[in-house]
Amino acid sequence: MAYLGQIRAIVWKDLLLELRTRERLVSMGAFAVLAAVLFNYAIDKTIVRPQDVAAGLIWMTIIFGGLLGVGRTFHLEAQDGAFQGVLMSPTPKDAVFLGKAISNFLLLYLVSLLVVAVFMLFFDLELGSSPTALALALGLGSLGFVSLGTLFAAVSSGTRMGETLLPVLVFPLLVPMVIYGVGATGRLLALRPVTEVAGSIRMLAAFAVMALGAGAFLFRFVVED
Amino acid sequence: MSGNGLRKGGVALTVLGLIGLLAVYWLAFFWVSTEIRQGVAQRIFYVHVPAAWTAFLAFGIAALTSAMYLWLRDERLDRAAVSAAEGGMVFGTIMLITGPLWGKIAWGTYWNWEPRLTLTLLLWFIFLGYFMVRSATDNPEKGKRFAAVVAIVGALDIPFIHLSVVWFRSLHPEPVVLKPEGPSLPGDMLILLLASLAVFQILFLGLFLLRYSIENVRGEVESRAREATVA
Repeated sequence: MAYLGQIRAIVWKDLLLELRTRERLVSMGAFAVLAAVLFNYAIDKTIVRPQDVAAGLIWMTIIFGGLLGVGRTFHLEAQDGAFQGVLMSPTPKDAVFLGKAISNFLLLYLVSLLVVAVFMLFFDLELGSSPTALALALGLGSLGFVSLGTLFAAVSSGTRMGETLLPVLVFPLLVPMVIYGVGATGRLLALRPVTEVAGSIRMLAAFAVMALGAGAFLFRFVVED
Repeated sequence: MSGNGLRKGGVALTVLGLIGLLAVYWLAFFWVSTEIRQGVAQRIFYVHVPAAWTAFLAFGIAALTSAMYLWLRDERLDRAAVSAAEGGMVFGTIMLITGPLWGKIAWGTYWNWEPRLTLTLLLWFIFLGYFMVRSATDNPEKGKRFAAVVAIVGALDIPFIHLSVVWFRSLHPEPVVLKPEGPSLPGDMLILLLASLAVFQILFLGLFLLRYSIENVRGEVESRAREATVA
């Protein structure tokens, strides 16, 4: 139980920090809305219907917006050696990772719901055959994304290249998430039955579990100094 | 084995591999029978398939030795990992060039998101990240740890990438050698394929040893530089 308490303390600290600076939430949220505005002009509506490409655009917005936020996970704390303090506390490294990943997840999930809402509004989309399944697919996708994102944000912030390295490291790994996420979202938006996307959602769940487990285990090797 | 022995062995195997490669080319062009449906273009198969197998083997060795490096922290394991990863990049590049060349003739298009080609492309990029992480850290020890993490997560992701890209699309010719009912390839084609595979392995091993002996020297330079600053 002490372990859960340690995770909760990290999550709370990160969310409080975000609540006070509102740095990442505002930039990710603004990015999501502005990306949707740009996408509106990127689609020629006499050639394709917005609902045909919406699923792909929704996931691209989540990934690029998420990269923006996740890449800065270790930024604020890098000042004044604050993160060294966190690492020197008796909290196990995997609890630090899980806390960071959960707080990133809460932020990104909020943003991904906003992305869907904005696309509904701008492109006049229906909420699809099952809002619950859609929310589940987005949640599992976000969880997988932040798990890899948090781990590799720690890696890239330890290099000279910083955040510019992050997309090179995570994009090839995110391919399965994009394939299953877009597949499920597209079919749900096209009012197909939930049974048709159950397999994709299960794969998203398996991906998230793998990513979260790998991150929790490998994080200790990234931050040891 | 001494550093000198490694280098000599590496040179010998590389030379042997290159000679073997010439033989493979000659046999592929002039000896082996022409495949009836695909015609002459199929001859690229004797380079493409062994390169692909060698690349996967090399990346596998890199991921395995990376994991063992994080566990045992033996410098030799990291040297083996980086040497194998570089070999994987070389043979992966060959596979990625020969695949589309064949595809243009057989499929009518260079690139069609065929699962195994896509998987190799993604692996190539994962290991590009592996090398970028290594070179972008001021502290070499940190770079080795970071790179090992990249290789391990990459290896864990491969089953997911494989399943997802197959699910997305499959147009690639089905396996003709490794399948339950035994190879369906005509005799001379199978012989040349296996010979070419052996040649590629020898070449990989030669390059691996050469690369490994360079890493040895690099490690020696680093430790002497450290001693010099301490003294």
